[in-house]
Amino acid sequence: MHLYLALILLLPLLGGLYNALLGRLLPRRVGEAVACGVIWGAFCCAVLACVGFTGPVRVEFGSWLAAFTFQAPIALYLDQLSLSLTLMITFVCGLIHLYSVGYMQDDPAWARYFALLNLFVFAMLTLVLAENLPLLYLGWEGVGFCSYALIGFWYTEEKNATAGRKAFITTRIGDTAFGIAIVWMYQLSGSVSITHLNTMGALVPAAIVTTIGLLLLAGAAGKSAQLPLSVWLPDAMAGPTPVSAQIHAATMVTAGVYLLARMFPLIGSSDTVRAAIALTGGITAFYAATCACCQRDLKRILAYSTISQIGYMVLGVGAGALTGATFHLLTHAFFKALLFLGAGCVITALHHQQDIFRMGGLRTKLAAVYWPFLAGALCLAGFPLTGGFFSKDAILGGVVAQGGPLYGGLLLLGLFTALLTSFYTFRMVFVVFHGEQGHSLPPGPLPLIMTLTLVPLALLGLCGGLLNLPAYLGYQGLLDGFLGSIPGFGGVEQPPHADEIALQIVAATLSLTGLGLAWSRYTGSRRAETLAREEAGQPGARFLLNGWYLDSLYWVLVINPFNHLARFLWKRWDEAGIDGTLDGLARLTARLGGLPAAWSSGRVATSLFGLAAGVCVVLVYLVWVTLS
Amino acid sequence: MIVPLEHILILAGLLFFLGMGGLLAWRANLIMMLVCIEVMLNAVMLVFVAGSARWGTADGQLFAIFIMALTSAEVSLALAMVVYLHRRRKTVDTDLFSEMKG
Repeated sequence: MHLYLALILLLPLLGGLYNALLGRLLPRRVGEAVACGVIWGAFCCAVLACVGFTGPVRVEFGSWLAAFTFQAPIALYLDQLSLSLTLMITFVCGLIHLYSVGYMQDDPAWARYFALLNLFVFAMLTLVLAENLPLLYLGWEGVGFCSYALIGFWYTEEKNATAGRKAFITTRIGDTAFGIAIVWMYQLSGSVSITHLNTMGALVPAAIVTTIGLLLLAGAAGKSAQLPLSVWLPDAMAGPTPVSAQIHAATMVTAGVYLLARMFPLIGSSDTVRAAIALTGGITAFYAATCACCQRDLKRILAYSTISQIGYMVLGVGAGALTGATFHLLTHAFFKALLFLGAGCVITALHHQQDIFRMGGLRTKLAAVYWPFLAGALCLAGFPLTGGFFSKDAILGGVVAQGGPLYGGLLLLGLFTALLTSFYTFRMVFVVFHGEQGHSLPPGPLPLIMTLTLVPLALLGLCGGLLNLPAYLGYQGLLDGFLGSIPGFGGVEQPPHADEIALQIVAATLSLTGLGLAWSRYTGSRRAETLAREEAGQPGARFLLNGWYLDSLYWVLVINPFNHLARFLWKRWDEAGIDGTLDGLARLTARLGGLPAAWSSGRVATSLFGLAAGVCVVLVYLVWVTLS
Repeated sequence: MIVPLEHILILAGLLFFLGMGGLLAWRANLIMMLVCIEVMLNAVMLVFVAGSARWGTADGQLFAIFIMALTSAEVSLALAMVVYLHRRRKTVDTDLFSEMKG
């Protein structure tokens, strides 16, 4: 176990270092092979660790930070949660690395790309496997940095660099809250070990638990793009598409959910925190789903759907359905990575066209992309019997089990969001793949590896439900049994089987309704009319297209006042005030110093006048002395 | 003493300030400046001689002779320098000699 855990972390790190330091010196094929090989190697180690897994294990590799009573060793903690996430991360990232080989085949900066991608996996695995919060924070910041560098990967374009900075700064707000929470928890308990902190729940005053929980929620909201810090994710689509798939769909953005689930035994004891988490998730899920309904950019639709789906996971954590949230996290990673990679194929084939209204009729021309993409869409829309259907249902089931007006409202919101999800998903599928050709150029050829990687993801997405079949089928779900022993995961009250079946019927109906709505609007005779109307744009649609003008709100509330303050401090305070005073003093001194300089002209006459003046002074003095 | 000391002092003062005024007024001409300096020195000598007569000691007269010797040396040296300067720059205007400005 010691060796496997070390290799899981070291392999991606070494791969990243190799590509960063030597990648450009050696042939491209070697760099690509190393980048992909280390991730698959880590996956193999994760599988071996899974085979040999008998129970939670803590492995310490050495001392990292130690001062007085503060101890933060390089310690990893492998339990069922981190094991399942490690397996998912290494597998999905491995596929995405393979896909990247095809996607980046014409890019000269491949060494930087693969180095960052590998380092990202390393940071993400550190985050997931860390036993103490400082180490987790290290990974947390590592994925933040890699995300920044990869969003702005094509940094020569101003827009991309700005998107990178936006993501970095926005997530930094949440990270600060998380940092404060870590320090506070250490101050309370004298320890930063996650397992130790999770046993502290009962000993800490309720008000403090609530505050810490809210701080952690803010941190999770930043990383997972939840309201009100969700603005960075849609813009993060400026990066290469595999990056969007790996970072902004499958792995990094779920870090917030992981953090909340990990710390749930501590913060879950506060009802306020749970309600706040559930509310954040529910509202974000609804918000992003409405925005996704009116987007034109293929990747932005997926970005908003990511925000929405993570909203579901956060809602699940808030409702205490940690297994459901983890289940959705896993299935979402499969189908969202699939959708993004499929979108990358479409965009590459259409010569970097991202506007869905310029697509259409690709079903036959890109059949190898269409079928996996459709599978992903079915999962995302929660089509009955797909992975997404079961996992979303597990979360909504958890909300039902909570009861009460708050959770009742959130359930309705969640169900309505499910309808919206289904609608926008199939809007995307029908607009892009059905109808007649909406673009002038025929689709270009795709590297085989790009379409091949879609297949395993499609299978996993569709069959993801097998991971955790609902309990009314008569036996315990795989994940339920696997995760049940983790503190916080087990002992959740399940809704009665009748309720769950009813819920699934409702969810299935909603999903099919959304499909039907999209079908009636975007296929057949009404397609052209609908597309023309949407392209013209209506006020309501523009409101949703711009994400409820959340960006503009930030401009008005934060950025503009900040700019004005900065300009005031720069122009008025620094330049006019401080610099002006100093410059004035310097000028005054220089002028004073210039006065006697006229006397040292070197002319004899000047000296003579000085002599005469001196004589006069002496005389006046003598007269004064004599007279007084 | 026939002439009171005050009168001599007043005369000496007048001579000194005449010399000084001339020095300042004629600064365009080095030779006139030397002449004026002589006038000032003579005023000082006069004070020494008067003081010597007033108090009946020889010190003042001694100093007067000393000054005479000093002045003759000074004038001869100064005139030589004036000639040298005139040879160099074809002028004796002091305002044009400002190379020693510090």
